Amino acid sequence: MLRRVRLYSLSTCPTCKKVKEFLKSHSIEAEIIEVDTLESGEQWLAIKELRKINPQETFPTLVVEKAVVGLDEENLKKILDIKNDNDS
Amino acid sequence: MTMTPEKLFEILDKYAKTKGLQLNKDKSLVFELLQGLLKNEERYGYRSCPCRLASGDKQKDADIICPCIYSVDDIREYGRCYCGLYVTKEYNEGKIEKRVVPERRKK
Repeated sequence: MLRRVRLYSLSTCPTCKKVKEFLKSHSIEAEIIEVDTLESGEQWLAIKELRKINPQETFPTLVVEKAVVGLDEENLKKILDIKNDNDS
Repeated sequence: MTMTPEKLFEILDKYAKTKGLQLNKDKSLVFELLQGLLKNEERYGYRSCPCRLASGDKQKDADIICPCIYSVDDIREYGRCYCGLYVTKEYNEGKIEKRVVPERRKK
């Protein structure tokens, strides 16, 4: 399973800082996007992307993208939270 | 006079008391927030909330200039404001359950 982790964050926000520390302490590789420090064009793009998943555009927002390539039913079930028939 | 987090702390501590509030007893959180406020004042010219993205347009961001207009309702409902700078006495005494404050600002 492919996975990409992105954190939409503000450089001035202590809560964002705590989420960054959480990712670090769990050795999670993530793209940290400090939206307030981006140049206006980049900031516009980042907000447009953030809004797709979090219409309120609040921070921090952690986005985890997963992908399953091909007909990999086990991972398809996992990623789609589909229980196996024998699971209770 | 350049404003420092320490000076700003003194000022806002007094201000909070005039409102019957307190600053969060978590000093490290408070000083991070104060640094955020001063950074926003430096780059935008106004103390925009450190936990919200400022537009750079003071008029557009009038509602999120600290103390933000949402803090009254947030403090009444959650015992703290959105970013956690201003809190009630009961919040600092641990009598109020700590919950994430949802964003009231309309997009």
